[in-house]
Amino acid sequence: MTSVLEGTAADARVPHAAELIEFCEAMLGTEVAWQVRARAAVRAALGPAGLADAAAIVASFNAVVKLADGTGIPLEDFKAEATRDLRAELGLERFNRGAGEG
Amino acid sequence: MPVHDALPDANAMPIREGLARELARAWRRLAEPGTWWSGAERLALAAEVRAARSCALCRQRKAALSPYGIDGVHEGPGTLPEAVVDAVHRLATDAGRLTRGWLERALGRGLAEAQYVEAVGVVALLTAMDTFDLALGRAECPLPAPIPGEPARARPAGAKRNLAWVSTVAPEDLLPGDPNPYALHGSKNIHRALSLVPQEVINFFDLDVELYLKDHEIRDFGREYRALTHPQMELLAGRVSALNGCYY
Repeated sequence: MTSVLEGTAADARVPHAAELIEFCEAMLGTEVAWQVRARAAVRAALGPAGLADAAAIVASFNAVVKLADGTGIPLEDFKAEATRDLRAELGLERFNRGAGEG
Repeated sequence: MPVHDALPDANAMPIREGLARELARAWRRLAEPGTWWSGAERLALAAEVRAARSCALCRQRKAALSPYGIDGVHEGPGTLPEAVVDAVHRLATDAGRLTRGWLERALGRGLAEAQYVEAVGVVALLTAMDTFDLALGRAECPLPAPIPGEPARARPAGAKRNLAWVSTVAPEDLLPGDPNPYALHGSKNIHRALSLVPQEVINFFDLDVELYLKDHEIRDFGREYRALTHPQMELLAGRVSALNGCYY
């Protein structure tokens, strides 16, 4: 959870979490040298196929957010209920502008 | 996104066959006549998405406490009406701070609801493809040439504005003659988001299930479908969503 929230991989029990977290952050940023380093690190850790699949996941989740944010589609009730504690920990409700003003 | 340094063999990366097929199809679909925009107009929307990444007005708004107090003119090709350009730039650079109130005002300035929904689909599709290339270290693909033809201009008869900021079609409200956008990829709310323009649901999720996973594969923890494990994929997905402030 800390890895997802804060981008720290120290507590992650996922193999190569540090490289993957760094990869996400670099690709959503704008620093070219950082992106080059992050790609190389994922490739060294997970191979070319791992890099390709990591790129695909980042692409998917960087895009699908446009659907949710652009249309104000709500989370299903059963999912909201099932993930209530998790969402509170993540502080995600502050992003839910279903009845948005502004 | 910036021009990026490609890996020496970035264009020879091992892209899965299914993903390569869907990427090619997505580029073609981007250039084809859509439901409410022509192929040339869809590519103009795509060109605005790319222009938004270096647009000074978008940067100013992104840095502001609220993006709604700063007026100005967007930098870009500007071949589409102003309300459309503004919507696309906001979707591309600051989608997390869009609101129902903003959309209502945009629709009041002449942007048709179904045109907006299709534009969201175009923004999402191009974002996926450009992000993939960037993440792999590949050069940004030039936009293709438009494919001639007229938009279909068909609105699902069963569409209602009762779930999201825009009208959607519930599976039970699909009427004979309405295209079924849920046949292949499911009908969760995220699939319903673009259902006012059914072809955009199909366009996006045909690609997305190859980038990520098909719905039944997501919870199939007994098998790995990619070069990454389920936990590795979920770590990436969670971190990208957190960075984007995604509530969904």
